[in-house]
Amino acid sequence: MSSHIKASKLEKQGTVLKLYGLFVFIFLYLPLFVVIIFSFSPTKTIVGMSGVTIKWYKELFQDKEILKVLLHSIEVGVSAVTIALIFGTAGAFFITKVRFPGKGVFRALVMLPFVLPGIIMGLTLLIFIKNLNIPLSMLTILMGHVSFTTPLVMFQVSSRLQRMGPSFQDAAQDLGATPVKTLWYVTLPMIRTAMIGAALLAFTVSFDEIVISYFLTGTWTTLPVYLYGMLRFGLSPKVFAVSGLILLFSLSLILLMTRYIGRSAEEVRVKR
Amino acid sequence: MDKIKSRFDSPRSYFKGIPIVVWLLFLVVVPLVFTFIMSFYSSEGLEIEKTLTLKNYKLFFTDTIYPRILFKSIRLALSVSIISIAMAYPLAYMVSFKMIRGRNLLFMMCIIPLWVSYLVRIIAWRSILGNRGVINSILMAIGITKGPLEFFLYNKFAIAITLTYICIPFVFIPVYTALEKIPKNIINAANDLGANEFHSFLNVVLPLSLPGLITGFIFSFIIALGDYIIPQQLGGTQGIMFGNLIYSQFGFAFNWPFGAALGFILFVISVIILGLTAKFGSTEGGFLGE
Repeated sequence: MSSHIKASKLEKQGTVLKLYGLFVFIFLYLPLFVVIIFSFSPTKTIVGMSGVTIKWYKELFQDKEILKVLLHSIEVGVSAVTIALIFGTAGAFFITKVRFPGKGVFRALVMLPFVLPGIIMGLTLLIFIKNLNIPLSMLTILMGHVSFTTPLVMFQVSSRLQRMGPSFQDAAQDLGATPVKTLWYVTLPMIRTAMIGAALLAFTVSFDEIVISYFLTGTWTTLPVYLYGMLRFGLSPKVFAVSGLILLFSLSLILLMTRYIGRSAEEVRVKR
Repeated sequence: MDKIKSRFDSPRSYFKGIPIVVWLLFLVVVPLVFTFIMSFYSSEGLEIEKTLTLKNYKLFFTDTIYPRILFKSIRLALSVSIISIAMAYPLAYMVSFKMIRGRNLLFMMCIIPLWVSYLVRIIAWRSILGNRGVINSILMAIGITKGPLEFFLYNKFAIAITLTYICIPFVFIPVYTALEKIPKNIINAANDLGANEFHSFLNVVLPLSLPGLITGFIFSFIIALGDYIIPQQLGGTQGIMFGNLIYSQFGFAFNWPFGAALGFILFVISVIILGLTAKFGSTEGGFLGE
């Protein structure tokens, strides 16, 4: 085979692959666009859509119930993230800095709430809280959210700690810094962006969570659980407007997140 | 320093472990133990009888309907995982090998759907497949059909397509991470030795990306196996999956001990499958690490 033919064949293969990639890409994004278009459609349909309206969004902001559950979601998200940051960061130090036997098993156990099907976390927590006679409330939803946000924070922070290595802390201590000073002036500034990124990620996941929350919800509900209830009456324009709002909110959080996640500690330091 | 040589650190450093151990006990281990114990109770009307019995597990294995639903869910989860790989692997390969500019942006765009609300994505598919949905509207507008076709929604196909949609990023991430880690000079060496792209893919790239592929497969399998919201929303009468069976025990069926037993069966299956990831898959480049 001459190299000329080979090259053109390669290019052709590349084209087929790229077309296929484009198809998958459309598959990934088209549904999201459909939701957005529906939320602006005055006629509840897409075909023969006449004009664009923000009527449904306006209605949304007059709906006291929706505003209330939106606030609930933010409350649960912020509380869950705060608790997860404390537990997760401490856990990250524990798992990277302290040697103990059975670390592999421990790591796997901590990951469970994130890798198990949500239904298992939901039902085990439900059985647990019923046995303790805790009534379904914000507290029970919060428990569910702390269960999966904590490993998220822990693994973000521990992978940052691992990549940093111990040399910076060792240097600080050799120069006479106390452990507290080392933590405050050396370690924390280096893991700060990992913590912010993890917090944003955890909040995004918490804000959208339904599988676990659905088990742990009584009368005090979050936005996704409320939206799920709305679906019983079909896809109303209001459902699309809430969806559009959630989409916008999630996307902004993700964009903010990309500024913090996946950046190495070194890069952050050099920038400063 | 002799501290480094010992297997254990100073006792004081174990205080760091207290918060995470408390979290682990209260939100993971103890609830699982409670569930395990409850799976040996039985339900008498609205009361839970607290004498230990194997009744629930016996019921599961003797009544053919329950294993049948489990196998139906396993089959569905297998198809979803396979389709997800068929869609995500080429995409990851393309982004990793065929893109020179804008690779990071493309990568981000491939995983953004992962963090977009799960419920909104379900609503999206309902609005595409539903009676007044996009497909029906288009078919009616161009005159192929007169009334709305109902067979798009409320069947296994609708569940599978939505689950696949959810699972694609979960396959894409580990596969892409595995592909990115393959040293480019190995591929160049294969090409210099006369392998064309297809052969170097088959003999070099695919085997080296296999751990990522297995991780992706297992993640999507577990997501598809345990889901109950999607079958509820898009499955109709065909859509009673194992997850729905479990959920209904806590809802209208009101048989918590049986639900606990079913939940524990799903837990054991999941742990076995996740154990396979630890053995054959890659834990790096997961969704939790940076």
